[in-house]
Amino acid sequence: MAEAVALLDITKTFPGVVANKDVSLSVQEGEIMAIVGENGAGKTTLMRILYGLEKPDTGTIQVKGKEVKLPSARAAIAEGIGMVHQHFKLVPSYTLAQNVVLGVEPRRGLFVDQKRELEIVNDLSKRYGLAVDGERLTCDASVGEQQRAEILKALYRGADILILDEPTAVLTDGETEELFGMLRRLAADGKSILFISHKLREVLAISDSTTVMRRGEVVGTVQTAATDRRELAEMMIGRETVGGRIREDSVQLGEPVLEIIDLNVQDARCITSVLDANLVLRQGQVLGIAGVDGNGQVELVEAITGLRPVSSGRILLDGKEIQNGKPRQIRQAGVAHIPSDRNATGVALEAHVWENLIAVDYFASPYSGKMALALSRIFADAKDVILRFGVQTPSLKSSTNNLSGGNIQRLIVARELGLERAQVVVAAQPTRGVDIAGTEEIREMLLDYTREGAGVLLISADLDEILVLSDLVMVMYEGHLSDAGKVDDTIRQRVGQLMTGGSIDDQT
Amino acid sequence: MTKREEPKPSSNESSTITTRASRSRLKSILIEVAIQAANYALILLVSLLAGGLVILFAGKNPIEAYGALFDGALGGTLKIADTLDRASVLILAGLAAAVAFRTSVWNLGLEGQLYMGAFAAAWVGFSFHGLPLAIHITLVLLAGIVAGALWALPAIFLKIRWNVNEVVSTLMLNYIAILFTAYLVAFPFKDPAALFPGTPVLDASARLPRLIPGSVLNIGFILALVLAFVVNWFMFRSKQGYELRMVGLNARFAGYAGMPVKQSAFLAMMLSGALVGLGGAVVIAGFFGRFITSFSVGYGWDGMLISLLAQNHPLGVIPAALFYAGLSNGGMAMQSATGVDQAVVTVVKGTLLAFVTVKVFIDFLNRRLRKWAPSTS
Repeated sequence: MAEAVALLDITKTFPGVVANKDVSLSVQEGEIMAIVGENGAGKTTLMRILYGLEKPDTGTIQVKGKEVKLPSARAAIAEGIGMVHQHFKLVPSYTLAQNVVLGVEPRRGLFVDQKRELEIVNDLSKRYGLAVDGERLTCDASVGEQQRAEILKALYRGADILILDEPTAVLTDGETEELFGMLRRLAADGKSILFISHKLREVLAISDSTTVMRRGEVVGTVQTAATDRRELAEMMIGRETVGGRIREDSVQLGEPVLEIIDLNVQDARCITSVLDANLVLRQGQVLGIAGVDGNGQVELVEAITGLRPVSSGRILLDGKEIQNGKPRQIRQAGVAHIPSDRNATGVALEAHVWENLIAVDYFASPYSGKMALALSRIFADAKDVILRFGVQTPSLKSSTNNLSGGNIQRLIVARELGLERAQVVVAAQPTRGVDIAGTEEIREMLLDYTREGAGVLLISADLDEILVLSDLVMVMYEGHLSDAGKVDDTIRQRVGQLMTGGSIDDQT
Repeated sequence: MTKREEPKPSSNESSTITTRASRSRLKSILIEVAIQAANYALILLVSLLAGGLVILFAGKNPIEAYGALFDGALGGTLKIADTLDRASVLILAGLAAAVAFRTSVWNLGLEGQLYMGAFAAAWVGFSFHGLPLAIHITLVLLAGIVAGALWALPAIFLKIRWNVNEVVSTLMLNYIAILFTAYLVAFPFKDPAALFPGTPVLDASARLPRLIPGSVLNIGFILALVLAFVVNWFMFRSKQGYELRMVGLNARFAGYAGMPVKQSAFLAMMLSGALVGLGGAVVIAGFFGRFITSFSVGYGWDGMLISLLAQNHPLGVIPAALFYAGLSNGGMAMQSATGVDQAVVTVVKGTLLAFVTVKVFIDFLNRRLRKWAPSTS
């Protein structure tokens, strides 16, 4: 087999983050290679570099043994590289055939040759066994058929190397099986396939080889036939012992403060994304919920905080039901919430710092009377709180978007933890984008809170953060919550099993 | 860079700050004001130049034309009073737009709400007789407020209930209001004595008292000024105003913090409709004395532009509305004195607005002036 494409020593940095560090990998003709890793491991950046959407800082790319420069997707396509994005890029009001040939249409004089267009798509469809009805309107086609059209689109442009970014995320199990059949045929035809995923079950089912990425680096490439789920999971999340743990192990736990019983929650598309979840959070406890983003964590958090209706099940705060309560009632009952997407939900960026600081306390004494805000009291307390939490701002009346991301996060933490005493802190990605010193401080603040008897529910895609802080770890996978136990020497392996769809019993 | 002016620090608050801090704050406020003033001066200059070019192309003398315009707007007490009178309704419409836009409630139905407010006010004014002046006027103004708010109600109801885009619904309601009131004065409420479709004349007890003999300027102007300060207080100092602004800046954030997002949008729409409805009442009870079809020369639309010109600040609405009023009155005078079509005024207004909204100069000035006088932190 000849080498189809090789990436050599690719490094790519974004401000503040190293997305790829000295990454090398090579794919043979006719090979299906899976690239796996947690969120933020650098998979997508690497593929965007290969498809000409990002420029690497250093490193070279070789296609069929020849060094190439890929300044644009157009250049990548010319080299025979095609990409199927996770979110399809099709025109909904066009037919599938029109989408396949879009931009490279067969012409007759000035016009698009519609007959020829359809023939081309039918031929391609037959040749690669990708069932696509060229005459169907894209918006009427199923997700699977749209994806096949996307693949045809790449093949029509002469792709020999196909990149598929999490292609199964949007498919049903049946559609996934079909997709795998098609990919095998394409590989048999000599095409090389790069398959991005974090679902190990699928990776094991489809790929010839697997490259594991972690924190922007390649951990290793293994022959899929010679590995198993456990080994891959370990490679994905590392096997080193828990380092930098700041949580003392002998914490006295009190009464249950938050209980979740058989909880079911639907997401915005009415798909049930939290399934029969159960948990008990005790006074003084940090309960970490690990898992790859998008496995129902957002919906779980929103259900607890009253932002999303609960379809069934109960949420008890101090023994009292709070499910389907209004956000303000739940806050007043004693739930603080540090949201995961700080700019979208955590602050109003164009508002002043003080306006963001009082957003959950402004409506009652001492911060307002019947009608008016008590500005002098607000400013006095706000001043105190930003000093205490180290929020760096020119003044309380500065526009919040003048603050750095880390400072905005401190502002949110200050608001949630500073002005009132909560019994439960729901902290979603509380240190995302915060510098090291700030991260440590925020973590200390959370732990301080537990020492006062509050419970902290820590939701993070960063496993290290979970392990550094938690007393007990649970894992969320496809809407299910499972218990991974206390933080000990084998916690990583257990979490790795659970967050990639296995169960702890798998490891015998 | 936000352009919002700070609410002035209250006396209680300043006592907690050291003198040095308040001095440096004063300095930064002064810089802010200087930047804004320079910004508007530059924009005005460019706009007048653009209008001047048009006049030049039309073969007229721009200086002469602008002279006539200035004289028509501000040449003598009576002309100034007339300009102030025209500004009353513009201030109210501008406030209506400012409240809505600050809350991200896109009320494009100001014109329709103005018509409904105006008609309701007229109806109360000519239907009831023998009431004391204070009571009759109060009822007339209340009628305008209520009708304006009611006409905004369907749009915000549809928005809250079924997420219908209020831009479209408010816009459509304009046509219904304008044509419906036209029908009312053409048939059921037509004054047979009038030459053109209009209601009967309002009772004397329903007319707003005039302030200066010989001018139409009336207490409506004072009312509008007072309301600008009330709205300013409400938006920047009150609980509800704070909620409204937070919802307008980031509704997801407001919902997350537990603020009543839908109620805020509802309140904003009602306030907006009420303010512009009051504007309709003021213009009828203060100037026309009866409801006439197409009495409005786009006051509702001008209100939106005035609000944009004032960067949606309630107090900024006052100078912006005065400026618009001056341009309108001056434009008419210019046309009759020099024969330059008052469409030139539209060119000036348009250029002005374009430069304010695209913020060409403000960014430049910010960069320059801040470098020259770095704001203290």
